[in-house]
Parts: sequence; C-alpha cells; structure tokens
Amino acid sequence: MRKISLFLTYFAFIGIGAILAGLVLYSPLPALLANLASPEIQFAIVLSLATSVISTAICIVLAIPVAYALARYEFAGKRVASLALALPLTLPPLVAGIALLLFFGTTPWGKALEQAGFMVIFTPLGIIVAEVFVNIPYMIRILRSAFSTINPRYEYVAKTLGSTDTGAFLHVTLPMAKPGILAGTVITWSKAMGEFGAVLMVAGATTLRTETLPIALYLNISTGDLDLAVAAATILILISLVTLCAVEYLDRGAIVY
Amino acid sequence: MLRIESLSITLGGFSVRDVSLEVRENEYFVILGPTGAGKTVLLETIAGIHSPDSGKIFLRGREITSMEPRLRNIGMVYQDYMLFPHLSVQENILFGLRRKGVPMAEQARMLEGACSMLEIQHLLRRHPGSLSGGEQQRVALARALVLEPEVLLLDEPMSALDRRTRERLRTELSRIRKLTGTTIIQITHHFDDVFAIADRIAIMREGRIVQVGETPDVFLHPSDTFVAEFLGIGNMIRGTSSRDGDISVITPPAGPAFYASSSVPGSVVATLHAEDVIVSTAPFASSARNCLCGTVSEVLAFGSTVRVVIDVGFPLTALLTRENYNELHIEPGSRVYATFKATGVHVIPVDPE
Repeated sequence: MRKISLFLTYFAFIGIGAILAGLVLYSPLPALLANLASPEIQFAIVLSLATSVISTAICIVLAIPVAYALARYEFAGKRVASLALALPLTLPPLVAGIALLLFFGTTPWGKALEQAGFMVIFTPLGIIVAEVFVNIPYMIRILRSAFSTINPRYEYVAKTLGSTDTGAFLHVTLPMAKPGILAGTVITWSKAMGEFGAVLMVAGATTLRTETLPIALYLNISTGDLDLAVAAATILILISLVTLCAVEYLDRGAIVY
Repeated sequence: MLRIESLSITLGGFSVRDVSLEVRENEYFVILGPTGAGKTVLLETIAGIHSPDSGKIFLRGREITSMEPRLRNIGMVYQDYMLFPHLSVQENILFGLRRKGVPMAEQARMLEGACSMLEIQHLLRRHPGSLSGGEQQRVALARALVLEPEVLLLDEPMSALDRRTRERLRTELSRIRKLTGTTIIQITHHFDDVFAIADRIAIMREGRIVQVGETPDVFLHPSDTFVAEFLGIGNMIRGTSSRDGDISVITPPAGPAFYASSSVPGSVVATLHAEDVIVSTAPFASSARNCLCGTVSEVLAFGSTVRVVIDVGFPLTALLTRENYNELHIEPGSRVYATFKATGVHVIPVDPE
C-alpha cells in the first residue's frame, strides 16, 4: 500500500511539475521577456491588476458585514440567504456571466443603470462587476468561518468596557479576524486575476480594451500567436505560485482564538 | 443597590424566569446553581448584553433595563477571561480607559493603581496567550476594576483554576472588595468556592431563584431537597414527622425513629449535616436527644477529613477529622454510636411519594 501510494504521489508531482515547467520553459528567456514587454501584454497586466484590486476591495467591503451577520445573527430567511450566497461557488462562471449579461442587457433595472452612466456590457467596468459577482461568495465563506470562530463574549466584554456595538466590532472582532481577512483577500484577488468565463460573457474579448491576462491568452491562442499566449500564461502561473505560498504562510501563522 | 424585578429572558437553550433579587451595597453576593440553570444569561442581562423579555433592573435607584452596557458602569469577568489576544496585557487593561476617553496622565495613574493592587506590573508587556490561568484571571480583573465599576460581575471565576490558585484568588477577591468597596456578584456551580466569602447567596435552578438568604442561613435551612442536595449536606432522610410535645419524631420507612426540633408534620425530608454527627464506640450521656446504634459500612478519606457511613437501619454519614478517626480505631463492620442533637436536624416538607 505504502509503495503504491508513494509511487502515485511522485507520479502526480512529476507529471504536474513537468507539464507546467514545459509551459514556462517553452520560449527562451529573452523571447519571453520581449513578449512580456509587448504593448498588448503590458496592457493586459495593468488591466488585470487594476480590475482585480478594485474588485477584491469591493468584495472585502461587502463581505465583511454580510459574513458577520451570517456568523452572529439569527434572522428570517437565513438558511435561504446563505444558500443563495453560496450558489455562485458551484456555478460555472460562464453561467454567472450569462446571467449578468441578461441582467444588465435586457432587464429594466439594468437599462436604468446604463442610463445612469453605469455602463457594464463590454466595458472594463463589466470586468469588475463579473469578478465581484463570481468571487464574493468565497470571501463571504472565508470571513464567515473566521468570525464564527471568535467567541462573541469578546465583544460583550468590550461593551462592558465602554465600547459601542460598532466599536466592539472594530476594536476586537475585526483585528482578531485579521488572518481570515488576509487569506480571503489573497484567494479572492488571485481568482480575480484568473477569471475568464464570466469576464468573457459580460465584458467581451476586445483587444486592448477588455483584454485581461486570461482574455489575452485566449485571443492570442485563437489567432495562433502562441508566444504571446505563453507570456500571459506564465504570468498567471507565477501569480498562482505566489498565492499558494501566501496562503500556506498565512495558514501557518494563523492564531486560533 | 442593584434591584432586579421579575426579570425573564430566554436565549438559545437557556432561560431566566421571573427572577427578583436585591443586592446590597458593598455586598459579596453569590448565585449558585447547576450548569444550565441560566446563571450566565442572568449575569449578561445585568451587564446589559441582552435585553430582557420582561422585568426591570435598577442600579442605585436608577432604571438601567434598556441602557447600553457601556454606560452602566458594571464590570464583567468571564470564566475564560476573554482577554483580547491581539493586544498586550497593558493594552487590555487600558482598553476601557481609552474607550472612555480618559486623559493620558490619568490613564497611567489608574493603570498603575490596578496593577499594583493585582501585582501584575511584570506582565504588562506580555500577550495574554503566554500567561498562566491565574495570571490571566488577575489581568481580566484589573481590566474590569481599572474602570472603578459600581458592580463587578464574576462568571465562574474559580472553575478553570487549580486548587492553590483558587485559594489565592479567594483571598484576593475579598481583599479587592475591602479595598475598592465594589459590590460583587459571582455565579458558580460549586459551593466550596464561595462559602467563606459570600455574604448572601441565591440558589438558582432551571432559570428560577429558589432560595435567597444569608449564607449560613441557607446552608443550615435549605428550603427544599434540591437546595439541600446541591449544597452537599451530608444526610437526607425521608420519613414521616409526627409531633411529640414541643419536638417532632421522624419515622423513616426503615430503621429507628429520631427527634427533630421542628413543627412540620406529615411527609418530610430531614437533613442533617455530616459534621454534626458525633461518632463514639460506646454510648455516652449528653444533652443530645438522638443516639443511634449501628455498624460502620463505609469509610471514605478526603484530605484531612474522613467520611464514615454508619448503617443504623438507614445510612447515616458522619464527617470526622482524620485525627479523630484514627483515635476511634473503627473500620467497616465496627459497632458504633451516632449521636446528634434534635436541633441539628432540619426538616423540609415534601409531597408524599
């Protein structure tokens, strides 16, 4: 048993490693650097960074109060609400994208928003909307479990010591949830960097307009420009690696209260 | 000083039902009850964490039922201390003073005062995670006391501590109370913790207060069998009570009848403290009315005391000092006499079973 499972472990490790290394090592380093410096890839990097940072910030701001409510309060419809909030976790991003496209493209609410200047369809703003929609359930999940491991009595004590409700949350629970918030941020951001399906549906794939890194990879593969596609993929692999290390590090450093 | 009027609250699986209490100025008041009696919910409601379903709370004549906890000036220390793990000991103690916007110079003075009272100056730079249970307890007390609360609420403060630390905390608490004049309300499920320091105790069961009184009174005159059993009084004997002149005779279903100075007729439970039973190897003349003969059925040693169970027809427990026990030369099977006064027998009426 031990031999077989160790063999399979090495097999899987070498297999995955070889396949990814093959991608990174596909083009010689000078060519890779030249491709990375091309205006298209530069644009994709900047757009991906900007949209992912903004969408992650929005996720944090929205998810903190929602996750807190789910962890602490009992309210009517809590079960249904938490199920609905978890649904995008298992939903293919393409489906989420179509739903968003229909919402903003065909419904009166979507049209009203467009009239008000909130142009989502085929715009960079659409990228952010798609990323938030797909990623916020992850953030809520992680924060909810972070909050529910913190004994509410910490807040009770803070209140007897002179804190308001909000003060008790800001001075006690929030700092205690910091490891969870950091982990959630890293995961949400890396998922936003790699988001493809939902972004493709809502923002389309327009070169040098809504071209994030995954979209750049897709467009260049479609047109047969393998070198640029590899450059985009290499960056995405690096991001995954950094994320994985960050999460591992945060996990080890996490203090369980 | 703190008055609770028919307070009721249900929270999760716990409830407090129609509780009325009056705690006096500078009193050490203890609420005793088994786990799940609703003690913590009652304490948290006094602190203002939960708003009651009905009832009122008054502090020094001023109604505080719906006042925010931060304005009540009631301190609270939990069983597991709830020190903020992301703050140092010093920041923990200063937490309240900062929330209340106390000037820096004043903060330093009050911190110094609280620390010297609880002897924790050397811990200020540390984080709660690195402290022992007893140290955390003292830091939690300092954090509450530095605000000079009118009432200090203690939730099972002894239960997580070892025996020695417990002893020390007990003396510490009575010293703190003398020093600060703070009224203290403590909840516990263990009578031993508070017997020595409580001025008055209330017994709580299933959300209700079943008895309130001066500590010795409650101990000597438990109002029902639950209280008697809970307080760990040694002997509880069921029987029927009938009057015989100015005292009564208790007749148990098995074994000899004995005397009690009470006037409760009918079905009763007689309680008798184990330490009030005198054990001797021969009968002796005394003013005690009851002298029952029996055989020792069990000997249990606990630290400096020995519990001897004597079968006199029903089991009777006597509590002896170890010295005393050694002098008697008795062992299971020995024939002995159990002597006790009629006034030592407390009679509680019960429904016949």
